[in-house]
Amino acid sequence: MSIQVNSIYKSFGDFKALDNVSLEFPTGKLVALLGPSGCGKTTLLRIIAGLETADSGQVILDGQDASDRHVRERQVGFVFQHYALFKHMTVFENVAFGLRVKPRRERPSEAVIKKKVHDLLALVQLDWLADRFPSQLSGGQRQRIALARALAVEPKVLLLDEPFGALDAKVRKELRRWLRRLHDEIHVTSIFVTHDQEEALEVADEVVLMNQGKVEQVGTPDQVYDKPATPFVYSFLGSVNLFHGRVDGEVVHVGPHQLVHGGSTVADGSSVVAFARPHELTISKDPESLGVYAVIERVLTFGATSRIELIGLDINEEKTSQNYEVELTRLEVASLNVAEGDHVYLVPKKLSVFEHKGTAA
Amino acid sequence: MPINDNHNALADWQSEGVRATLKLTGHFNAHTLGGLWSTTRNDQTVWLSSNGASCQLSIDLAQVSYLDGAGIAFIIDLKHAQEAAGGSLTLLNLDKRYEPLINQYQPVKNLFPTDESDHHDSTNLIERVGKGMYELAEDAKLQTVFVGQIASSIGWAIRYPRQVRWNDFINVAVEAGVAALPIVSLVAFLIGVILAFQSAIGLKQFGAETFVANLVSLSIFRELGPLMTAILLAGRSSAAFAAEIGTMTVNNEVDALVTGGIDPIRFLVLPRMLAGLLVAPILSLFSDLIGVFAASLTMLAYQIPFVTFYEAVLKTIHVNDIMSGLTKSLLFGLIIAGVGCLRGMQTGTGAAAVGLSATRAVVSSLILIVVVDGLFAYISYKTGF
Repeated sequence: MSIQVNSIYKSFGDFKALDNVSLEFPTGKLVALLGPSGCGKTTLLRIIAGLETADSGQVILDGQDASDRHVRERQVGFVFQHYALFKHMTVFENVAFGLRVKPRRERPSEAVIKKKVHDLLALVQLDWLADRFPSQLSGGQRQRIALARALAVEPKVLLLDEPFGALDAKVRKELRRWLRRLHDEIHVTSIFVTHDQEEALEVADEVVLMNQGKVEQVGTPDQVYDKPATPFVYSFLGSVNLFHGRVDGEVVHVGPHQLVHGGSTVADGSSVVAFARPHELTISKDPESLGVYAVIERVLTFGATSRIELIGLDINEEKTSQNYEVELTRLEVASLNVAEGDHVYLVPKKLSVFEHKGTAA
Repeated sequence: MPINDNHNALADWQSEGVRATLKLTGHFNAHTLGGLWSTTRNDQTVWLSSNGASCQLSIDLAQVSYLDGAGIAFIIDLKHAQEAAGGSLTLLNLDKRYEPLINQYQPVKNLFPTDESDHHDSTNLIERVGKGMYELAEDAKLQTVFVGQIASSIGWAIRYPRQVRWNDFINVAVEAGVAALPIVSLVAFLIGVILAFQSAIGLKQFGAETFVANLVSLSIFRELGPLMTAILLAGRSSAAFAAEIGTMTVNNEVDALVTGGIDPIRFLVLPRMLAGLLVAPILSLFSDLIGVFAASLTMLAYQIPFVTFYEAVLKTIHVNDIMSGLTKSLLFGLIIAGVGCLRGMQTGTGAAAVGLSATRAVVSSLILIVVVDGLFAYISYKTGF
């Protein structure tokens, strides 16, 4: 089932949780809603599920306006961050619950329910836990049971609200691979909310980046990582070096230094923020090179790559508060022959320039 | 590029009466401006002091190859001096690419923003009263909706009695009813003793101890039995319902029910409402009997035997009195269960919200109990029921 939301607004008091959000979620895809805490992603998910109502805007499920349709009729499966399993029921009863409470006419027979629950528990690889109570399970197991419970009613849409948020790092990694495989098996249109960029990029077919109630960018994981549309996306996905300056023709003036950028649409003279990822910077000792002056603070080498941490220098060769990070291969570091304490120039191989929107400080 | 000191900046100051022109040439940044700034300002001060107000300074920027924040600060400084003396300043041939920079560096506007006068944090009395009224109205709206939902779910329960969760109903009834027996009997017993003693002290002065039975039994059956039971139930069960449902709300279990296609009103609220309806009258009848029994024991101390006491009770109490008390406790049961469930459903987020809901449940149900009791007293007085 395809999901579409059209110009959704939602505010809580003075706080705008969603500000004109329009999105389309294609059938059978696993889409991640990614953004920092409080950006409105969970609210959007709850509106799609029907647990909250939007102030204005439409939710369209399968081409039909479902804004007024009750949650019960939307056929969504919802998985919560803190599992929300029924504590007084066993695992089996939890999963069977959605089937057992159906009206008599639609309710399958007890034998069918039993088979279906065991199939689902087998799908989440936990059928040996059927008789336990939720309190006797680990966090990862509880979340898988919660997923089985959500799938029991054969939802047309699966919504996951930070499903791995309460789990430790190792279990998270395992579970997200498992979720990806599970999705490939069942192919239910799924949306999952996360604030973990790695999780979103690894698991999802498509990533929706949100910030302050607005959609910043929609694209495949590669697209959003390689071609960030806005400064927010750039700084949210992965580590980044940031330069404040002003565009002047082919170069960006950063303090007394100049950096060459690969062309930008920003008008000359306007102040900008320029971004370069650690692997998009090189280090030069040549005083004639166009780069930012900095001193090497630390060189950390692990495996094939080295990470070099630098601190900016002003014209009096004193340290500024700017930190930089460069990633080079071990060979490059050796050939450059740099050591801690060296004064060098940071030269970007690729520089993305965005207009600076804040007020002048 | 390293620190760039091979650039030069020139400022050519020319004044003629009240008009002066400053021609800027070259590369303007913090390094090149060093000496220029003070010499130009000196020129300006001398010129301004000899010519007074209505001085017009124009700055020609045609030959400027580079201008950054320092250069802008320089221009703004000149402008301020100009305005302080009552003169004016115009910029000529400013390259378009520096315009945004000029606009950006508006020190007065940025450093001393005019306060947006319609925004203020402190609230006055009228505002607080208004907000309070609004919240009260919102709460009343929610309660009305809730009452409607309960009414419709009771209708549903009558039509499909087999789909009601009778197991939950029995569990709740045992927890709220049977488990409350010790405390209810204790309180009822003490109330009976106290009431008998207090009235006996007064009536003895007139030699009318025999009428204690009439007084005590009537007030217990009509008023104190139902009321004390309701207050105890509000403290025990209303808080418990709010906490149970509140915990489920906080843990998203209620949301899980809803997305699973289950109406939480039918599933969670209805069994509790029915249990409240059943338990409250039974408990209050029980407490009536205990109270009267306690009173009869007390009166033994005044040489009034059991038989005399019960004769008097049977003569005083009619079926109407008992039914009136029971009707009232039926209503109390509805209030206690309903308010407890409503506050539970309204629970916010976080564990602290559960405690808050429990408190609110007790307070609201106590207030409603007293209000309903008052209304009932008035109706009884008017109709004689």
